Amino acid sequence: MLDRREVLRRTSWLAGGVVVAPYVLGLMQSCSPDQQLDWTPNYFSDEEARFVTAYIDTLLPKTDTPGGLDVGVDRFIDKVMAATTPAGDKPSPMQTGILEFDDRARNRFGSVFHELEQDQRGQLFSDAENSPLYMPAIWGTAVGEQPPIDFYRSLKSMVLWGYLSSEEIGTNVLEYDPVPGEYNGDMPLSETGGEGLEFVGDF
Amino acid sequence: MPVSQPLQPRLSLRGLLQLQLHTLPAANATGKLTIRPFSIVQEVIYGDQQGKAKGLRIIAAETNEVIDYKARVIFLNASTLSTTQIMLNSKSKRFENGFGNDSGELGHNLMDHTYRVGATGTVDGFEDRYYKGRRPNGIYIPRYWNIDEASKSDKFVRGFGYQGGAGRTGSREAANLPEYGAEFKEKLVQPGRWEFFITGFSESLPQHRNHVSLNPDVTDKWGQPTLSIDAEWGPNELALNKQAKEDAVEMLERAGLQNVMEFDNKHEMGYGIHEMGTVRMGRDPKTSVLNGFNQVHAAKNVFVTDGACMASSSCVNPSLTYMALTARAVDHAVSELNKQTI
Repeated sequence: MLDRREVLRRTSWLAGGVVVAPYVLGLMQSCSPDQQLDWTPNYFSDEEARFVTAYIDTLLPKTDTPGGLDVGVDRFIDKVMAATTPAGDKPSPMQTGILEFDDRARNRFGSVFHELEQDQRGQLFSDAENSPLYMPAIWGTAVGEQPPIDFYRSLKSMVLWGYLSSEEIGTNVLEYDPVPGEYNGDMPLSETGGEGLEFVGDF
Repeated sequence: MPVSQPLQPRLSLRGLLQLQLHTLPAANATGKLTIRPFSIVQEVIYGDQQGKAKGLRIIAAETNEVIDYKARVIFLNASTLSTTQIMLNSKSKRFENGFGNDSGELGHNLMDHTYRVGATGTVDGFEDRYYKGRRPNGIYIPRYWNIDEASKSDKFVRGFGYQGGAGRTGSREAANLPEYGAEFKEKLVQPGRWEFFITGFSESLPQHRNHVSLNPDVTDKWGQPTLSIDAEWGPNELALNKQAKEDAVEMLERAGLQNVMEFDNKHEMGYGIHEMGTVRMGRDPKTSVLNGFNQVHAAKNVFVTDGACMASSSCVNPSLTYMALTARAVDHAVSELNKQTI
């Protein structure tokens, strides 16, 4: 169960909790016709939405279980951003982060992120993993000194939030327990069917 | 005071005794219960001739109408600081500095518990074990410092207890895994490793300097003065926290946990949402506001049995103590009413 505090933690970076270097506005490359969006973002520009789409697809691709895009994580993030970004707050840390990540992609591979091959995207992801980690949380609050979480990991956390709280994953991939009233503090994992329970996240 | 309550999701479960499930239905069954919502108690009205409270003055929140209610007995339990705010706002010729404030202690000796200081660690194994449902509580380690001669500390008085619990990590840790793609996605829906934590709750001492006062310069929507809070932890609370952190690390390490990490998320008073004191109980009317039955010394038909009455803070969660004090005070009030002494 997410409490209000946890929701705020997960979205707080949007309000400036992430530290980003001043960016240089890069020239936007035009997108190829086969990458047209099939939905209309409220928050993102088309170019930004293509980045988010590629990011989600790289992190959680479709396999024999649904990928992030299959359960609408792209639309989810657009919705959260539209609802939580103060008017006139542009460019937001999210937009700055996308521009910077695309700059990295361009410097290394000559194209923006969403135009790269899967293994090139993967190399950028692996590099980005050398960034500070989330501290353990107790009752929804990080313990100890939390170093600033960068754009890459903030977005990763947000994608996981959207993915794991989607109806499809919550009911058909995770074990669904709609009325978790009874408490059992020590049971065989196999009794759940082997997967984690939908409502058990951070404790 | 922070509005959000970190413990609220746990406390909202159907546990112990709840207003909506138990006490209100019982009161309603008497046929004598009237609930008047959207009412702001402005003050307690003092009757000079009677030498006790005559009733309450309220402001109807939606119409701003001012209404006086008469009462033989008043239980003033608006929550710790609101109770005090009402009393400070109840000024009369008899009580120029707030209702029942002959001692000058009304508004003083604000207390809270420190918490978010302790240790967390991981536990290897038990990968085939899990849990389900909503647990309304956790583990508790009672206070063990300053219990007797052998446990006496030379660094602090009083002590702390620990609260804690265990669980398997979820998506928060998944965001830390240096992975992506198909394999990562499979891992994501598996329970993570076991974590266990304890966090100390330290007793705070009553200090006259930790106080609240009315601020007539800043008024609310109904023209009532707001409350200013001036309070901070003292050296004893800080020494308790230091010990709580050190002991937590030692316990978790000796218990065989891995990746033991200490933490001390320093916070201001009020974050523990166990605010207590400011209408304290005591034997001597010169140094306290309430007597041993939670009656205002100088107006015995007014009872305060919420957190405001506390004279010390202990280190345990205080609600059960309020409930016990309330039951005792109500019993006393009924007995006094029958004897017609209040």
